[in-house]
Amino acid sequence: MPDSSAPGSSRSWRTRVQESAVYRSIVRTPSLDSPRGRAQRAFGNVFLHVYPVRVPRALLRFRSTWRLGFISTVLYAILLITGVYLMFFYTPAVSMAYGDMQQLRTQVGFGQLIRNVHRWGAHLMVLAVVFHLVRVFVDGAYKAPRQFNWVIGVALLVVTLAYSFTGYLLPWDQLAYWAVTVGSDLVQYAPGVGGWLRNFLLGGSTIGQSALLRFYVIHVAVLTAAFFAIMAVHLWRLRKDGLAVGDPDVARDVTERATEAVRVPQAPVPADARWLADGRRVLGVVETDEGPGHVRQPEDEVFAWPHLLIRHQVVALAVTALVLALGIAFEAPLRELANPNLTPEPSKAPWYFVGLQELLAHFDPLVAGVLAPGMLVAALVLLPYVDRNPSRRPEHRRVALTLFWLIFGALAVLTVIGALFRGPGWGFVLPWEHLYFEP
Amino acid sequence: MSPTRREMLEAGWKVGSGLLVVAAGWTSFEALKPLADVGGGGLLPLLPPDAYPEGSATFVREGRFFVTRAKEELFAVSQKCPHLGCAVPFCEASGKFECPCHGSVYNLAGEWISGPAPRGMDKHPLQVVDGRVVVNTAILEQGAPLGSRVYDTPDRGGSCAPAAEG
Repeated sequence: MPDSSAPGSSRSWRTRVQESAVYRSIVRTPSLDSPRGRAQRAFGNVFLHVYPVRVPRALLRFRSTWRLGFISTVLYAILLITGVYLMFFYTPAVSMAYGDMQQLRTQVGFGQLIRNVHRWGAHLMVLAVVFHLVRVFVDGAYKAPRQFNWVIGVALLVVTLAYSFTGYLLPWDQLAYWAVTVGSDLVQYAPGVGGWLRNFLLGGSTIGQSALLRFYVIHVAVLTAAFFAIMAVHLWRLRKDGLAVGDPDVARDVTERATEAVRVPQAPVPADARWLADGRRVLGVVETDEGPGHVRQPEDEVFAWPHLLIRHQVVALAVTALVLALGIAFEAPLRELANPNLTPEPSKAPWYFVGLQELLAHFDPLVAGVLAPGMLVAALVLLPYVDRNPSRRPEHRRVALTLFWLIFGALAVLTVIGALFRGPGWGFVLPWEHLYFEP
Repeated sequence: MSPTRREMLEAGWKVGSGLLVVAAGWTSFEALKPLADVGGGGLLPLLPPDAYPEGSATFVREGRFFVTRAKEELFAVSQKCPHLGCAVPFCEASGKFECPCHGSVYNLAGEWISGPAPRGMDKHPLQVVDGRVVVNTAILEQGAPLGSRVYDTPDRGGSCAPAAEG
């Protein structure tokens, strides 16, 4: 028997627990004193396994990615949790939905706060996803070999917008009803199938019970399933294609280096060992102090656990604190019960579609409501296959960057005008005189 | 040349999977397509024609349309804006329909005057039967094309859009 029962034993209860057979069956705690142990910490844990064992040191800088993809994911997690909470108090029936919203506000503990956080979190997620797209474009991170992951990212953007739009109807107040009326009637301008497609989406020719139920099921179930499936591919490809961070000339992509690492190091071949030249290699007899990992330049990489993880933890806490603060400071709007006979003045689509609505005031609905957004999505999907320029340096991508900022700028201007400068009858109103904007 | 067993099996699982996808798509489509608009209208008897004087627009809540009279003719104008589906109110000050969403303007007969709408307001067939106005809400006729106005009434000067931008 070891002498652990001696007085003043140095083995604390914690050590005893950790050394017990039961604990070790659950958690395989490697020794963190060795690089191998730290690596095991990451790949021995199903949740941490999303991270690579090691990441480029450049990734630790906040400005390498602005953490926008991660921020979007954190916001999604917040939305998932608050969303499940809201589902306990919400009935997707025309006769009950609005009453449930009021009950949530007045009778459910922290109900209004949860709803506020869900609302502001959703708006922030749309913003974060858009900024993520901008960051990836500006850094040229969509270029080979990451073209397909960019397309997957566009799919996630569409899912995010669909989430926000379907969720918009659920409170069943005037804001929800008319924003979704305007938004879904855009669909009917699609040539040929438009009217039919709109009715299929709404489950009828008007927004009523079947539309509410359809939007609810799509919001909580269909999109969630789609999101997890697509997100899995997005993260998987991120791991497989590698990260595009750092100066493209100085630090080559992780992928490139990972590929190199697979190659066997150029070990000094003894001059008389000509039999080695036929391609077979006997690594065991190569005399070298550099292992196969040598080519990966370990000084450029750090362990994801703890270096990246602790940074992600801080970002996650900051995002949560921000959304919570917004939820405490600002109430999510709830207008009167939806009334199909009375359109409020003005009736605006959700803010991320209000740029389209502004476009609609100037162009034919087929152009502004169908062709413009359709071509925008098509352009985003095709971008990595059309832009074959391999360089990621801004001075080599003047045309692409100029075009991108022009289109992005035009969209931003249209959105700002539509959201802040438009009043009743879509007339021009200065926002400091009267602000017609409810997020 | 007849296919080998391996080729048959290979084609078999592909065809089978394809059929499965088609079947899943078809059943989902059949299940999810909108139910027929049962009770989506019918003959709605209203007041005698005299109750709707020249230049007036009377809202009929049951059918979500207005009964209007312009140039001695009666119309049943659907409330739904043909642009993006907003409910268009009648503006007494101007004697026109003014859509609050994007500012489309129509005359009493629902004919397009200005704004981004693609056509005039849609209408239900209206008849006078046994001294009463009867509107068939089961039928919705597409509004008149742009630029063909015959039922303009005298301008009343006013407007319901406060911040008129043009």
